[in-house]
Amino acid sequence: MAGATLSGIRVIEYTNMVAGPYCGKLLADLGADVIKVEPPEGDSARTVGPFPNDKPHHEKSALFLYNNTSKRGITLNLKTEEGKEIFTQLIQWADVLIDNFPPGHLESIGFSDEVIQKANPRLIYTSITPYGRTGPRAQVKGDELTLAHASGLGNLMPVRSADIRRAPVKPGGFQVAYQSAVNAAVVTMAALIGMGRTGKGRIIDVSMQEVIVGLLRPGIASSRYQRASWSRVPDRPPAMGRMKTNDGYLVLGAAEDNHFRNLREMMGNPPWMAGDQWLNMNYRSHHLMDIAPQMDAWMEKQNKKEVTEKLASKGVPLGPINSIKDIMENKQYTFRQYFTEVEHPVAGKYKYAGWPYQMTASPPRVSRPAPLLGEHNEEIVCKELNYSQKDYLRLKKSGTFGRIKR
Amino acid sequence: MNDNTLPLEGIRVGDFSWVWAGPFATMLLAMLGAEVIKVEGHKRTDLMRHSVIWPLADPAPADVPPNQGMGYNTVNLNKKSLTLDISKPEGALLAQQLAIKCDIVIDNMRSGVMDRIGLGYEALHKLRSDIIVLSSGSRGKEGPEKDFPGYATIHNAVGGVAYVTGYPDDAPSTTVGDTDLMNSTTTAFILLAALYHRLQTGEGQFIDYSQCEAVTSLAGEMALGYQMTGRVPERMGNAHLYFAPHSVYRCWGVDHWLALEVHSNDEFIAFTRVIGKPELAQDKRFKTMKARKRNERTLNHIIEEWTRQRDRDWMVNEFCQAGIAAAPSRDWQDIYADPHLRARDAFIKVQHPEIGPLELVGVPWKMSDYTPPANRAPLLGEHNDYVLRQILGLSEKQVAELRNKDVISQG
Repeated sequence: MAGATLSGIRVIEYTNMVAGPYCGKLLADLGADVIKVEPPEGDSARTVGPFPNDKPHHEKSALFLYNNTSKRGITLNLKTEEGKEIFTQLIQWADVLIDNFPPGHLESIGFSDEVIQKANPRLIYTSITPYGRTGPRAQVKGDELTLAHASGLGNLMPVRSADIRRAPVKPGGFQVAYQSAVNAAVVTMAALIGMGRTGKGRIIDVSMQEVIVGLLRPGIASSRYQRASWSRVPDRPPAMGRMKTNDGYLVLGAAEDNHFRNLREMMGNPPWMAGDQWLNMNYRSHHLMDIAPQMDAWMEKQNKKEVTEKLASKGVPLGPINSIKDIMENKQYTFRQYFTEVEHPVAGKYKYAGWPYQMTASPPRVSRPAPLLGEHNEEIVCKELNYSQKDYLRLKKSGTFGRIKR
Repeated sequence: MNDNTLPLEGIRVGDFSWVWAGPFATMLLAMLGAEVIKVEGHKRTDLMRHSVIWPLADPAPADVPPNQGMGYNTVNLNKKSLTLDISKPEGALLAQQLAIKCDIVIDNMRSGVMDRIGLGYEALHKLRSDIIVLSSGSRGKEGPEKDFPGYATIHNAVGGVAYVTGYPDDAPSTTVGDTDLMNSTTTAFILLAALYHRLQTGEGQFIDYSQCEAVTSLAGEMALGYQMTGRVPERMGNAHLYFAPHSVYRCWGVDHWLALEVHSNDEFIAFTRVIGKPELAQDKRFKTMKARKRNERTLNHIIEEWTRQRDRDWMVNEFCQAGIAAAPSRDWQDIYADPHLRARDAFIKVQHPEIGPLELVGVPWKMSDYTPPANRAPLLGEHNDYVLRQILGLSEKQVAELRNKDVISQG
């Protein structure tokens, strides 16, 4: 084994909430040296929660703890000259800068693209913003709800809602931000790889709206060129989609003929599914709704976990609609050791969601818990930027790292 | 100066994946400059080549020829196509020879299929020690559920996002095929990380990828929250834990909606001015975020009485200009019409020999010194000669023989 996947890459992130921090986490858990720069009051994710026993505490927010593993942290008051100087030195220290503040924010505190590039011409500067850095809506505010709907994703849900008097709905959690983070990480990695050839830095502009539009590309083109139209899309034929069980819901995707044959067998070949015509996908596309009531009635007597094991082991695509509790108890996740235990000095020990990729040579891992607010101020300034202990204390006293009132 | 050196120039990818979770990953690499060779059997082509996205248009096209499916053309830009019947020994051998001329090999076939035909990591690693192989499966390559098949909506369900999507008083909702494209994006990321590692150390590796787990990783705060509070996170519709107004409101017309989120008292004051009810900002029911959240239902009712009588896009503009996050709930026709996306060149124009000009969604990033390639998805077997002769060094006669034996497609 030759060390961690991304060892040697230095990243500073000036980020908040999810899109920027998760992008940094993706790199940090693979061994990149990531320094998170926070304002003295901290990343706002520290105030979001959930918190242990619902007691808010800036070192115990689940959203912050998850998205900032394996990083070191420094607080900087970027309104002070010394704070700006240290930030500049960190830009010079780094290979990558991740920023998910709105367009123009860094410029407004003295760090325009030109200033940044001049400080470090080899820097990959990755900016993640709601609508991108250019265009008529660049300055418009956007967050999970508005971006999910602006991008055409919200309009598709709830799937199979016949009631158009009810508003379309966003996906749960922070899907827009997370997906933007992954996209930003892809292009950042590519730029790092290309750097070997050109030696020239780049500015990357990731629009969160475009990321989600990008994930809907097949349907968007289909709507234009094949006149398919989706809004709270009916999810049933040819595969039945969401179904109710006696303990929740599952998604059945018996789309292909052999899937349907196996399904029918497992259901005990009921008379209303008899006949070869049901083994023809084209026929099912047009007639599946005829037997939907009987299929629903059958499914409502099943337990989602048991019926999944029974059918999926026969090659029928389906899966339970799992709550996070179901997932933490799932034997496949357990087998793959997906959850990883992390001990945080203030928040305590919890199981953290891991990574969908298992790697034979350089697997990801949480190398340290999310940083406490300002935890590595001294270490970063003295060790990485070579300030003396005396200078560090002077900076501390003058408020470069902020004065935290809590 | 724009020198447009594509960052992944010189990297070659052997793409044995199909449908969406896989093909879009390699398309992202192709758009960044990698040479991606898509390998399909001409009798077992990528299903999406024939696809019309569900629900079908009315009347539904009865048969889509293999180069015309939108599910294919949108996620395979800038690739090369090789047809190879890998169920035949000669085909499998050629596939193996091609694979070891690639830096990266990816598949999303069922667990064990690649191993059986000599395209698994063990076999390839022996022939090329620094190769990177990624196998993308529904639940992963090993474990009690390794053979469970799945599609995008199933992964969205198993991974935990469907459970929290929808209204609290109604059924959960999956998203759509976007879960496959999300999985592709995560796949592209880990491939590039592994490639970076190889360039630094010379070490290749095998990556076993679970599409269900990738969904869970994008909701990691839920697992922590559940352990911290003992509560399972549930569906919240468009609502937010702390913020109000934070919802989607009916507009004038049929099924027209706008999304609106207010995060601060200042934004709320600006909001009340836009709707001509500045007195609401002084109303003790709505004066603070906590009060607004407590009286959210009443507040939403007041707002919707105003929005339902007005034009969606006009309102969105008014709110945005006032510094409030607002957006239309766009359907897909709206996406093409969005002037902001147009101004940012979010679409890419390609010329398709069978369909004509196509305007498709482009790459989800901008980058300095970078112009995305604008090559359409390849026709079936379009690059057979190039791949077999130039990369594998076969003679014209050998290629003709493969054609006669039906190992590659005719023509």
